[in-house]
Amino acid sequence: MASVEILNVKKTYGNLEVIHGVDIEIQDQEFVVLVGPSGCGKSTLLRMIAGLETISGGEIVIGGAVVNDVPPRDRDIAMVFQNYALYPHMSVFDNMGFSLKLRKSLKSEIEKKVTEAAEILNLKPYLQRTPGQLSGGQRQRVAMGRALVRNAQVFLFDEPLSNLDAKLRVVMRTEIKALHQRLKTTSIYVTHDQIEAMTMADRIVVMNAGRVEQVGSPLDLYDHPANLFVAGFLGSPSMNFIEGRFKRAADAAHVVSDDGSSLPVSADLSAKDGQRVIYGVRPEHLKLALDGEGVEAVVEVVEPTGANIEVFAHLAGKRICAVFSDRHPFRPGDKIRLTVDTSKINLFDAATKVRI
Amino acid sequence: MSPKLKKSLIYWIVLSPLVVVILFPFAVMFATAVRPPDEVFVFPPRWGFSEFRWENFSEMWVKTNFGEALLNSVYVSVASTGLALVLSIPAAYALSRYRFPGKSAYRNFLLMTQMMSPIVLVLGLFRLMVALGMVNSLNSLVVTYAAFNMAFTIWMLQSYFSTIPRDLEEAAWMDGATHFKSLVRIFLPLAVPALAVTGIFSFINSWNEFVLALTLIRSSDDYTLPVQIYAQVAGRFQVEWHHVMAATVLATLPVAIVFSWLQKYLIRGMALGAVK
Repeated sequence: MASVEILNVKKTYGNLEVIHGVDIEIQDQEFVVLVGPSGCGKSTLLRMIAGLETISGGEIVIGGAVVNDVPPRDRDIAMVFQNYALYPHMSVFDNMGFSLKLRKSLKSEIEKKVTEAAEILNLKPYLQRTPGQLSGGQRQRVAMGRALVRNAQVFLFDEPLSNLDAKLRVVMRTEIKALHQRLKTTSIYVTHDQIEAMTMADRIVVMNAGRVEQVGSPLDLYDHPANLFVAGFLGSPSMNFIEGRFKRAADAAHVVSDDGSSLPVSADLSAKDGQRVIYGVRPEHLKLALDGEGVEAVVEVVEPTGANIEVFAHLAGKRICAVFSDRHPFRPGDKIRLTVDTSKINLFDAATKVRI
Repeated sequence: MSPKLKKSLIYWIVLSPLVVVILFPFAVMFATAVRPPDEVFVFPPRWGFSEFRWENFSEMWVKTNFGEALLNSVYVSVASTGLALVLSIPAAYALSRYRFPGKSAYRNFLLMTQMMSPIVLVLGLFRLMVALGMVNSLNSLVVTYAAFNMAFTIWMLQSYFSTIPRDLEEAAWMDGATHFKSLVRIFLPLAVPALAVTGIFSFINSWNEFVLALTLIRSSDDYTLPVQIYAQVAGRFQVEWHHVMAATVLATLPVAIVFSWLQKYLIRGMALGAVK
C-alpha cells in the first residue's frame, strides 16, 4: 500500500493540451474517486497513473518514488478496466492467477491466493469456466479478483460498473466499498456517475475540461461546492439555479430574479449590492410555505419516484425542481408556495461562477 | 411440392450451368486418370471406360518421381508460409497498434505490390538469385514465395489484429507482462483464427505457384509439383496423359481437402477482419 501524489501533471496530444496541470494528493489507504463529465480527462489521468499513457509534464509519485518513466508492469498497480479486459482464452482461474504466474510464484501459492480471492468474491464454482460463459456481474468480479490476488500497492478502477445493469451496479458498489474497508488498499476510482462518487469515496476529485474543480469529502462538496460546476454536477436531481441581482436592504438581503421575483437570502453573505449572482438551491431544501409566505410556483410536472415525489415547477421565470418526501397530491397547473432555509442557499458570482 | 422445395429446386436449376462449368475439368481429369492408356484418345470421346485402373497412380508415382516433387512442394510451401507469417506478425502488429509517419503510405505500398504480376519480376528475381548464388535451391523459392505472400498476409493480419481489444494487452502489462510476453501469451493465442486463414492462403499460393519455380529451379530433382507435372507434358514425343492426370489429381487433392475443411474459418476470418 502506498500514497499517490500527482504533481502539476499535464497531458498534451500534439499542440492540444487536454490536462492542464493537475495536483492531487492521495493518502495511503484512501479511496479517492475522480468524477467528471465524459471528456474531462479523468480516464486519461488514471491511465497516466497506470503507466499506459505517457506523462507530458509534471510528476507522478507512488509510494515516494517518481514513476514517470517506470513501465506499467513495474509500478505494482492493479487495474480494473471498464470492459473488464479478461483474457478470453483462459479460465477464470488462469485469468486471476496470470500475474502470479508471470512472477513465477509457486503453483501451490497461486492456487492458495486465487482460491482465497475467489472465496471473497463468490467465484469458487466458476473457476474452471472461461469468461465467455459468465454473466456480466461475474465477469466484473473476475476482473476484481485479478486485481485482488496481487496485493498491489494501488488499485485503479476505470468506470468498472458502467457495463452493469442498474440493480447490479448498486450491489457491486457496496461490494467494492466493503472490500476496500477490509483490505484498505489505496484506491483510485474513475466514474462519470456522481452517485457512485458520493457513495463510495473518502474524497472526491471533481474534474472538468482537464482541470480539478474541487477536492473534498463527498458531503463537504455537496454542501459547500466551490463553484457553479461542482454545485450542478453533484446531486440528483441537480441544484436549481436562478440568475438575478443581489439587493441589500437594512438587515435583510434578497436576490431579485430577472422576472422581478424576490428570493430571500442570508444577509451575512459578502455579495455587494447590485452584484449579478446565481442563486442555487437544492431540490430537497425547498419546503412548502404557508399562505402569504415564500414564493409562488406553478406545478408543471410531477414525477413520483416511490420514496419521494419530484415536482417540476415554474418559479421566478425558471423551471425548478423540488423534492418532497410527503405525498402531496399536486396536479399540473396547481399554484404552490415554496420557501427555503436561507442558510442552505448557495450564491455564486454570475461572472466568475465562484461561490460567494 | 412444398414452396421451400420448389424454391431450392429453382435455385439449383439456375446454378447448374455454373456447377457444370466448374466441375467439368475435374471430371475430365479424374476420368482420364483412372482409364487404361489405350482408351485415353478415342473417337468419338466418351466418359465410360472398360476398366478402373488404380495402377495408373502407382505407375505414375514411380515414373514421374512424384514422391520427391511432393516433398519439395511440401517443404517450399510450409517453409515459405512459416517465414511469411513470422515476418508479417510484427509488421501487422505495428500497423494495427502504433502510429508512425508514413503508415498509410506503407499500407498503400503493400497494396500496390499486389497489382504486379510475378511474371514482370521473374527476370529480375532470377538475376538476384544468381547474384546470391541461390539458383537451383529450393530456398530461393521459400524466400520469394514468402516475399510475394507477405503483402497479403500483413494486410489480412493487420485488419484482424485491429479487432483485438487493446485493453487485453494493457491488462497483461498491468499484470506484470513484458511487451513480448503479452504478445505471446495473450495476443497471439487470440489471433490464431487469423493466423490460420492467412497461413492457408499463403500455403495454397505457394503450392500452386509455377512461373517462379520453373525459372529458379533448374535440376529436376528439385522440381516442385506444378513443374514436375508440366515436365511430363512439355517437350516430349509422347505425352502419357493418364499419368499426367493421375499426378494432377494427387497434387490437387490435398489442397482441396484442406480448403473445404477450413473454409468456414476462412469466411469467418475474412469477415472478422473486414466487418467491425
